[in-house]
Amino acid sequence: MTPDAIVQAEALTKQVPSPEGVLTILDGVSMSVRRGETLAVVGVSGSGKSTLLGLLAGLDVPTAGRVILHGTDLSQVNEDERARVRAGRVGFVFQNFQLLPSLTAIENVMLPLELTGRPRAEKEARSGLTRVGLADRTAHYPSQLSGGEQQRVAIARAFATNPQILFADEPTGNLDEKTGGRIIDLLFDLNRERDTTLILVTHDREIGIRCDRRLELSAGRLLGALN
Amino acid sequence: MRQRRAGDLKVVIAALAVAVAALVSVMTFADRLQRALKFQGSELLAADLVVRSSYPAKSEWTAEISRLGLQSAQTVSFRSVVMHGEDSQLAEVKAVEQGYPLRGRLRVAADLNREDASATGIPPMGTVWVDGQLIALLNTTVGARVELGTQQFVIDKVITLEPDRGGAVFAIAPRLMLNIADLPSTELIQPGSLASYRLLIAGDVSVINTFREWMRKRAEVGVVLQDASNAQPRFRTALHKGEQFLGLATLVSMLLAGVAISRAARNYAQRHLDTVALMRCVGATQRNILEVFMTQFLVLGTAGSIIGCAVGYATQQVFVYLLPGLVAGDLPWPSLMPAVVGLSAGVVTLVGFAAPIILRLREVPPLRVLRRELGALPNHITAVYVTSMLTLAALVMWVGRDLVLASYVLGGSLMTIILLAALSYLLIQLVSRMRCGVGVTWRFGIAALARRAGSSTGQIVALGIGVMAILLLTLVRGDLLQAWRTQLPPETPNHFLINIQPDQLTEIERFFREQQWPKPHLRPIVRARLIAINGKSVQPQDFQDAFAQRVIQRAANLSWMESLQSDNKLVAGNWWRTQERASPLVSVEQQYAEALELKLGDRLKYRIADQEITVTISNLRAVAWDSFRPNFFLLVPPALLNGYPASYITSLYVPRSRAHQLSALIKQFPNVTNIDVDALLQQVRRLIDRVNSVLETIFLFTVLAGIVVLYAAIQTTQGERRQEIAILRTLGATRRQLSIGMVSEFVVMGILAGGVGAVAAMITGYAISEYLLSIPYRLHIGTWLVGVGAAVTIVTAAGILGTYRLWRTPPWHILR
Ligand SMILES: Nc1ncnc2c1ncn2[C@@H]1O[C@H](COP(=O)(O)OP(=O)(O)O)[C@@H](O)[C@H]1O
Ligand SMILES: [Mg+2]
Repeated sequence: MTPDAIVQAEALTKQVPSPEGVLTILDGVSMSVRRGETLAVVGVSGSGKSTLLGLLAGLDVPTAGRVILHGTDLSQVNEDERARVRAGRVGFVFQNFQLLPSLTAIENVMLPLELTGRPRAEKEARSGLTRVGLADRTAHYPSQLSGGEQQRVAIARAFATNPQILFADEPTGNLDEKTGGRIIDLLFDLNRERDTTLILVTHDREIGIRCDRRLELSAGRLLGALN
Repeated sequence: MRQRRAGDLKVVIAALAVAVAALVSVMTFADRLQRALKFQGSELLAADLVVRSSYPAKSEWTAEISRLGLQSAQTVSFRSVVMHGEDSQLAEVKAVEQGYPLRGRLRVAADLNREDASATGIPPMGTVWVDGQLIALLNTTVGARVELGTQQFVIDKVITLEPDRGGAVFAIAPRLMLNIADLPSTELIQPGSLASYRLLIAGDVSVINTFREWMRKRAEVGVVLQDASNAQPRFRTALHKGEQFLGLATLVSMLLAGVAISRAARNYAQRHLDTVALMRCVGATQRNILEVFMTQFLVLGTAGSIIGCAVGYATQQVFVYLLPGLVAGDLPWPSLMPAVVGLSAGVVTLVGFAAPIILRLREVPPLRVLRRELGALPNHITAVYVTSMLTLAALVMWVGRDLVLASYVLGGSLMTIILLAALSYLLIQLVSRMRCGVGVTWRFGIAALARRAGSSTGQIVALGIGVMAILLLTLVRGDLLQAWRTQLPPETPNHFLINIQPDQLTEIERFFREQQWPKPHLRPIVRARLIAINGKSVQPQDFQDAFAQRVIQRAANLSWMESLQSDNKLVAGNWWRTQERASPLVSVEQQYAEALELKLGDRLKYRIADQEITVTISNLRAVAWDSFRPNFFLLVPPALLNGYPASYITSLYVPRSRAHQLSALIKQFPNVTNIDVDALLQQVRRLIDRVNSVLETIFLFTVLAGIVVLYAAIQTTQGERRQEIAILRTLGATRRQLSIGMVSEFVVMGILAGGVGAVAAMITGYAISEYLLSIPYRLHIGTWLVGVGAAVTIVTAAGILGTYRLWRTPPWHILR
């Protein structure tokens, strides 16, 4: 194992049953990401990018191969321990925001802080929301916010615990170009400030170029490093 | 259409199956009893027409009968003690004339457990026919001699079926039948004795009608004409009441089923909004959409109702087993009518509670494919409330067949629902204030409830109704039945000693001490006859009421008492003070006063032996007659009747095993008569227990319906909950945190629903006990606690059962 790798995948294969027989979504993908690195995973829609991201974060289990995150082999542990590996150390930004609809903006941001028992959760969450420009929307529910604002809340939530690694799955996919551009800027700014490792899935080459390194997926296989 | 998750549809099937089963079981049982009564009409009377009177048939009547060429036979019935050696037993004695029964057949057997056959004729003179129970209670055999009044009789045969007796359940004491020609020699019929005379008549319908007219014109006092259409009126009334009461219990199941269906339909529609938009996109018309979804619902509803019918038929057979002997002979086969009604009621409930929601699907615009917020279901669909209330009204009218009752039930349900909704809304507002003060995991629960106070209110009301039904039907009903049953505690007196003379009192008390029995309450009796009210002399024919006529015809028992017995309650006026110990006052039992239209201050003139006495009504009492202690319609102050001829009466409890002690008493005091009411007590207890089992079965359905509602309500939020769990997992929540989070939501919801349900159950329970059963209702704080506890447990258990699978599912499967 690469000594300073924060996450590492070995011969990852993901297959799902389908009406036409077994469908192979990922086929023997191996890769490794260093601490502090920013990596773009690019490829056409349906190439398996989201699936790879889900596996790297331990949100799903591979059919074959293994993922080592923060030094833990995720295939050796159960669902509960995989959650523990993520707690406070992994942040997420999704294409469709995934905020809890029953909680206000600030309560959503407080969530990861409180789950890991951090003190002064409310104060930290407030300053997080201020950082993403939503100081005056803290008491709003997700349904009362626009898409761009919801994604800002999601970014504040992702950075709330100062995670070592951040996974982002097409964070601009549901936003218009202008809003999307601002969101990406915010993401990169925060990433630089906090020195976080970033794995960003996108089908937008422009965005990919802003990362240190790019990997291209095609039909579940890695095409190799692009430069 | 293929279903990904069919939970809502299962709710629809289960809800209808439960409600229809309840309805069909009650209807089938009642229908079989009613048809039995109808088929057996004339047999139940043993005649085509019966003239019932409190005195023997007049010779003019019998002359007219023979002139018209009709058949007739007389019977005389009364209660009396039958003795065999040292054993004595209260029996329902019936003296019959040759020709009895004119319709139907009396069946007798040569001995116990022998095959029976139709009797030819009536008991020969000097013999009696008795039912098996009397032989057992008297410890005797066929062929033995028993004593009735002053005469001895040989037990000749065992009666196995008596057409005009009614169901065995309603008999107060076992039967003894003798030849009417033997009656005078028993010396049991004296002026004023409580005998009931029947003149049975049979013949051609038109001739019978001629006689009926003739009788009607004579307008005799104290005479009732009965024919097949009004045979066994008391049983018919009881049956009707019972049917109505159980009908209401099934209506609660129907209402609950409706609530569950409504929730399920909403869920179902919600899940299919996208499908419908897509179908519209690819060219499906509104009609196509309706056809697809309505057909699906109707097919399922019919399936659920058919299951319910099957279960209902099986259950009514259980009722037949639990309550045998309601009618003499076998019950007719179940008919198809209840199934037809059950099926239609099922479909009506389904349509009434679900159709307006399903109809909404028709209006989903194809544009929803692009803009998902279009065509969403509104929070409240007014049409649902309207159609469900109309459906409920229709069902009440149909099942309860009573407009007043229907409006009460409807009004009650509406008020309850509005009350529950207001209360839930308030509670949610209150609780949401508290969300800042609690930890992260508890916050989900409260936040989830508070976010949409409207839909949470709906859910809590649905849960609350479920909780209310369960509470009402288990706890409150338990309270009520307990109250009813404790009116007959284990040591209820099972023997009455009557005719004790004043000079025997001290000896009797000594005897009781020697046997270590509790000190007897010896009650004096003076026989008195009512001759005038407020100075106006009274005749039986002055009153319409049959009870009033009887009271005036016969001598009344006056007793006296220093203070009020515990089973008596003052309802008007004042009890006498010490200085009134000899004042001419009287305390009158409530029903007695009602029958004779008496009020406080009225003056009653009685004749006692050859003296007259006038007393003023100083108070009215309610009496718990079923305490099995000596009780009296009329009480006077303790010193008023000093010097009048009195005898004494007492009751006591003697276990069966020590009955010989009583024989010793009778030997020592031969003039004292011992009346054994043990068999009667057993009978009453058995009846209570069996009625209880039938109620329990019906209530079980209601409880099941309540559980379906709970399930449906929890199902509604399942989608949101899956999403939440996946997000929390992504953020690293452990199983412990997840479970606390989920449990907190269910606990909060359970507490609210339980509290709301408990309030509703107590109000309803109060109304039922106070107005329907007239049993005092005790408010139990325990009911609250158990209610809330049960609600929390059930809601949490159901919620966890529905979500725990998700705790082990990789979150990606849900988030994708
Ligand atoms: N659980 C699953 N069941 C069936 N098919 C799946 C599943 N997960 C992913 N797929 C399929 O695998 C392919 C890759 O999906 P995904 O990783 O979401 O692609 P990308 O994110 O690159 O667009 C798609 O064709 C998708 O439909
Ligand atoms: Mg994707």
